[in-house]
Amino acid sequence: MIECTHVYKKYRNGTNALYDINLTVGQGEFVYIIGPTGSGKSTLIKLLDGEEIPTKGTVGVIGIDVGKLRHSKVPIYRRNIGVVFQDYRLLPSKTVFENIAYALEVINMKKEMIRRRTREVMNLVGLDDKGNSFPDQLSGGQQQRVAIGRAIANRPKLLIADEPTGNLDPAMSDEIMSLLEKINREYGTTILMVTHDLTLVNKHRKRTIVLEHGHVVADLAEGGYVQHDQ
Amino acid sequence: MISRLFRPVKEGFRGVIRHGAMSLSSATAVTLTLIIISLFLIFTVNVRQFTEGLEQTITINARVDFDHESAEEEDRIALAISEIDGVGNITYYTKDQEFEYYLDSFEDERTRQAMEPFRDNNPMHDAFYVEVTDGTRLEEITKKIEEIEGIFDTNFGGQSAVQLIHMLRTIRIGGGILALALSILAIFLIQNTIKLTILARADEIAIMRNVGAKNGFIRSPFVVEGAIIGAIGALIPMAITYYGYHYLYELTGGYVITKMFTLIKPVPFAWQLALVLLVLGMVVGLIGSFFSVNRYLRWKR
Repeated sequence: MIECTHVYKKYRNGTNALYDINLTVGQGEFVYIIGPTGSGKSTLIKLLDGEEIPTKGTVGVIGIDVGKLRHSKVPIYRRNIGVVFQDYRLLPSKTVFENIAYALEVINMKKEMIRRRTREVMNLVGLDDKGNSFPDQLSGGQQQRVAIGRAIANRPKLLIADEPTGNLDPAMSDEIMSLLEKINREYGTTILMVTHDLTLVNKHRKRTIVLEHGHVVADLAEGGYVQHDQ
Repeated sequence: MISRLFRPVKEGFRGVIRHGAMSLSSATAVTLTLIIISLFLIFTVNVRQFTEGLEQTITINARVDFDHESAEEEDRIALAISEIDGVGNITYYTKDQEFEYYLDSFEDERTRQAMEPFRDNNPMHDAFYVEVTDGTRLEEITKKIEEIEGIFDTNFGGQSAVQLIHMLRTIRIGGGILALALSILAIFLIQNTIKLTILARADEIAIMRNVGAKNGFIRSPFVVEGAIIGAIGALIPMAITYYGYHYLYELTGGYVITKMFTLIKPVPFAWQLALVLLVLGMVVGLIGSFFSVNRYLRWKR
């Protein structure tokens, strides 16, 4: 599913973000990526969704060399992966229904099918009655559920979640977690979740990859975070 | 398939409405520049009409030498004149016609009577009246006619008319350059306003790419939106041009100062001009937004 080999990333301004990352994630896994601010988590996500190009090494996702994609092909690649951001990134001028349907319109799905699938997804994320609301009329947790709905609408094989609970209180975070677990279980979607919420990581134990200063310092299959000596 | 074609149009209209304030400010930029362009168009097109009118009133009078009055000679001269570049219609008058014309120029009967004896000893020449297609080349053409063998002399009516033609031409060229410069300025102005509206929606475009929208899919509604804004911006200039020109025409009675400066008739000129403004507004809006979205798309991966 994900196959990173000897990936280095150095930004144009000279910042070194990642050193020699080797990473393999299999189909249907649920993996946490944790680490302090500036450890390279966001950079890793950007490499995986094609927003940035690795300086060295290859980033392979579902057999595609993401770093080699042409500008015009990046969006087509992104149809295979869903991304959820900390700040939700919903289209403010579209309703909940339209936001979710948008990801399907983009891939030229038939109108009737879009309607059916969008209702299905809204039911899955528990927002049946919010179809006509605009994002700014919803709570943070609800907005994040819309974003997750949009990300999974076209049944991607991989779902990347970048601090999905970063702006939410613990109760809301738990809700989002169980939603992600449900998606992982029911659809077999591979989920890569970046977080720095240690309580969450320790409560819902999963494979955990620890990043620090651009290096992978731990890859714990049994989960739970062990404090690393600084 | 049909919904795929209509989506950009539908989304374009929706975009105009949802971002009302931005659309309005862009449309205002279009409106102001189109009004100015419209004024310049009315001005230059009419000046061009004046020039053409003036050019038609100016003819070169070429008189034939007494010893070249045979029919073959005059045919040869007529052919030679018609072969000169820039010559329009040529009218031929015999010396008798010229004499009659001369007589008619006297108002009182007695002078005419006094001239009558000259009829049999006609001092007039056979003459060609030559119209030119380009008034500024009058002198050059006159000189060429003079060089034809058998021409007694030439003259053309009024140095001042020629000067006027030169002047009108300068005004027209100046006006044309100014109108062109203004159009370019308008495109910049509109492109900038549209760029602002697009920058305000940079997040939106980034999100579209995030969910897998292809560049063309993102671009098309913006381009339609630009054309709609251009069309909206053209509405007021179109109305001003259409009604304003009709009003101007009625107010002046169809000419400026003398009948020589006849204004172009408002039908169909006024609505043609309005149509030009509409197309200009839409094209400028379309091009402006196309370049703006493109630049943004390139910048974001």
